[in-house]
Amino acid sequence: MAFNLFQRLSQAPTKPKSAPVARQFDVADLYQGPIALGAEGEAQARPFDEKLRQAYFWIVNHAIISPHYDIEYNDGPSQTYSVGDSRRTLNLPSAQSYSSFILLPLLTFATRRKCLFVGGPGRGKTASALLMGVLAGSTVKEVKRAMQHGHPQMTVADLLGNPLPADLVNAQSMDDIRIAWRAWLGMRVKIVDEYNRIPTRTQSALLTVMGDNYAEVLNHIYECPEAAWYLTANDDQGGGTYQVIEALRDRVDVTVQALAFNPRFLNELLLRVEENVRPEELVPPDIIFTEGEVDQIGVAIRQVGIPDAVRRRLEFFASQFELFETAGGQFEYMTKDTARLAGADRGQAQAADNGRDRLKDLGCQTLNGISVRTLMALMIYAKAMAYFRGNGEVELEDLRQVLPFVLHNKLQPDPDAPFFALPENAAYRSDRLGWLRRLFDLSNDEFNRLDLDRDDPVGVLSAEFDLGLGGVSERETLARLNRIEKLIGERTKGRKLYGPLYDDLLKLKYLHQRYTNYRSWLRSQ
Amino acid sequence: MISPAFASILASGRAQFNARAVEARRRFPALDMAAFGAFLHDGVDPLVQAVSAAAPERVGGVTLAAYDMALELVGHGLAGPAAKNPFLNTVWRELAPQFAPLLATAPVDVLGMLSNAAIHLGSVAGARPAQWQAGMAAVAPQVGSVVQLRAVGQVLAWRAGVAHFRLGALAAADTLPPALALAAFGEPGAQWPQVHAQLMANPWRGNADGREFGSFSGLGGAFGTPPQVRATVDGCGFAVRSAERHYLLVADAYGAVLHSATAQEYEQATTGMPSSVRLDGATVHVGARSIALDLPAGDIALAANAHTLAITSPWTHAIRLLPLA
Repeated sequence: MAFNLFQRLSQAPTKPKSAPVARQFDVADLYQGPIALGAEGEAQARPFDEKLRQAYFWIVNHAIISPHYDIEYNDGPSQTYSVGDSRRTLNLPSAQSYSSFILLPLLTFATRRKCLFVGGPGRGKTASALLMGVLAGSTVKEVKRAMQHGHPQMTVADLLGNPLPADLVNAQSMDDIRIAWRAWLGMRVKIVDEYNRIPTRTQSALLTVMGDNYAEVLNHIYECPEAAWYLTANDDQGGGTYQVIEALRDRVDVTVQALAFNPRFLNELLLRVEENVRPEELVPPDIIFTEGEVDQIGVAIRQVGIPDAVRRRLEFFASQFELFETAGGQFEYMTKDTARLAGADRGQAQAADNGRDRLKDLGCQTLNGISVRTLMALMIYAKAMAYFRGNGEVELEDLRQVLPFVLHNKLQPDPDAPFFALPENAAYRSDRLGWLRRLFDLSNDEFNRLDLDRDDPVGVLSAEFDLGLGGVSERETLARLNRIEKLIGERTKGRKLYGPLYDDLLKLKYLHQRYTNYRSWLRSQ
Repeated sequence: MISPAFASILASGRAQFNARAVEARRRFPALDMAAFGAFLHDGVDPLVQAVSAAAPERVGGVTLAAYDMALELVGHGLAGPAAKNPFLNTVWRELAPQFAPLLATAPVDVLGMLSNAAIHLGSVAGARPAQWQAGMAAVAPQVGSVVQLRAVGQVLAWRAGVAHFRLGALAAADTLPPALALAAFGEPGAQWPQVHAQLMANPWRGNADGREFGSFSGLGGAFGTPPQVRATVDGCGFAVRSAERHYLLVADAYGAVLHSATAQEYEQATTGMPSSVRLDGATVHVGARSIALDLPAGDIALAANAHTLAITSPWTHAIRLLPLA
């Protein structure tokens, strides 16, 4: 039947554009209404970002009860209230806002990255992952069967596959042994439930599949298709049966917290109980994505631009965290990673690192810096967010909204930092997402204070260098070298060393070295 | 009591119909089953009876389609005894049965079109749904396909006051057989090409007096303060400002419709006037015509687009619209 009552999709509202357009009235509007007419709906091909939005709105409206709009966008002033003794802010966003618990897994699906759900039992983590499998075109039964459930006795063979018993007896060489690969390896959405209950050795095998996209058993290789990954954990801070190996944790691109159920929505649950309804079995065919469509979405997302101004803010933010002045004797090695590799006593090293404003220095709040993989994930998710919102360029707010979820498991807070000792910041000890967002806001405030949007001499020198060295005379090269040396002299005069300054100095050293080499080459001609 | 035909279909598919209602309750938690029952009786039964008489072999499929659609419409609060606009109920009860042969072949499209159109017309201030219904009923025997139903509905919607449909409705009328197009315009003896040309050339064809639009919002009108009017850049409508709000007014012989607009659209609009228009005290001269206005002289403002002269005054919340031709 053409008329489909329960799987109709809402007209996903997209971000309205402000530019006035010429008025054109369509007489076909007469027949636009709540009743879907068969021929029309099929005739109109939807762009994929619209399809993605429709999938999001279907999930939030009909499938997952997650009324937490924690990804807030504003279009003009928003209404805010200070609530409770702690005077926390309740914000009523003035633009379309989203639930991270639904949106980020969906962006993970679109970008084929890896998403970790954390939260207490029974909060919809597995159900959400299951829905993503159904969006990829598998049946509920297939997704359920392919889902890997972490348990303490899980072996590598349980995870990847077994050699066929007959081959094991008769084979003359390893090549003769055929492997019965597990079906989940071929899925486009891979789900590992309670991944922190998997034994450490099996976690290593999982790491290979997650990291390099292939499985290996007895020298036999299974190449997995590109897939979106969903992992779940009740407690990611060591409450699982096994400690999650760091490399595996590092492969996770984004972490989403399943928030508490709001009992005000009990009527929705009651209806599901009474009618025995399972939303994953009612996913409308219109929001099922083919493999080719996800490929195209991935291409389109990568093409979304990140303007220089936004990129600079990210650079400035990322610069804050790696510097650890007392960790290295050589300038390049003054990093937290140097201290970590040496197993140095952090407390002692920190005690020696005095004189800086430890409240103002954002780097003092973390135990580590931001890895390259994390920065790449951050940019991909910011692009995906902009794409989802129907924009061709990333806005600073896109970056601000995805940043806490990408850095959730990556940037470790230092609980001994003076920042957390302030009463107004006490909540950030447990609310990591809130802390990361605050961190980014503080970084942006500092960026504004330094007026780096307009006055960035290192950026000017860098842009000059990016134009290329072809045709640059020796005289000009010397002038540039002098400018670099002069700038380093200015920037280091009587100033404490902070993360962004440290990175600027390293960049200037790099530029100086490139110009020095070029000058040598010029002289040899 | 519902008709025996409808009762027998409901009884034969009882489990299926009940399951559909249960599913609908999930989608629309506020679905009032008593209201749904009343709509089955009031809205669905007449068309089931009509189809039963016209094409008994198709009555099962039509009933199923109508039942599902009724669930959705009642679920949305658009149909049934508690509906905000009872016009949809009237369309199901009185108009849809007149298209019984067409309903039998394409129940979803026919009922969907009629329902959506009823809801749309009900939402356009100034439209005359009853006129649309009467027009549709009059041409029903001549409508032989869903495509014709679509076009004739659009033409009649325009004639029922949805002025901004003018160009689209004229294009739709061109797709109809000339006899049906002329029937839709109530001019069965005319020649369609001539009628079409006249309608294209003159939006005020058949209405030399123009019309008055708008009144004080406190009395149920459209404007909070006396409106100011400018002609839009495309020359087809008027940009209106009243009480810091902006509108787009589209008017012709059949009606006038107000849409929301932006301050930019108002700023972009023009205040030019054709040389044929002249204001002399409280009398406006359009070519050879002179029209005495019942407005105090002195503050009368004029704006003209390609076909229409709009007259406003600080002393009234209404806009006088006069054909220029």
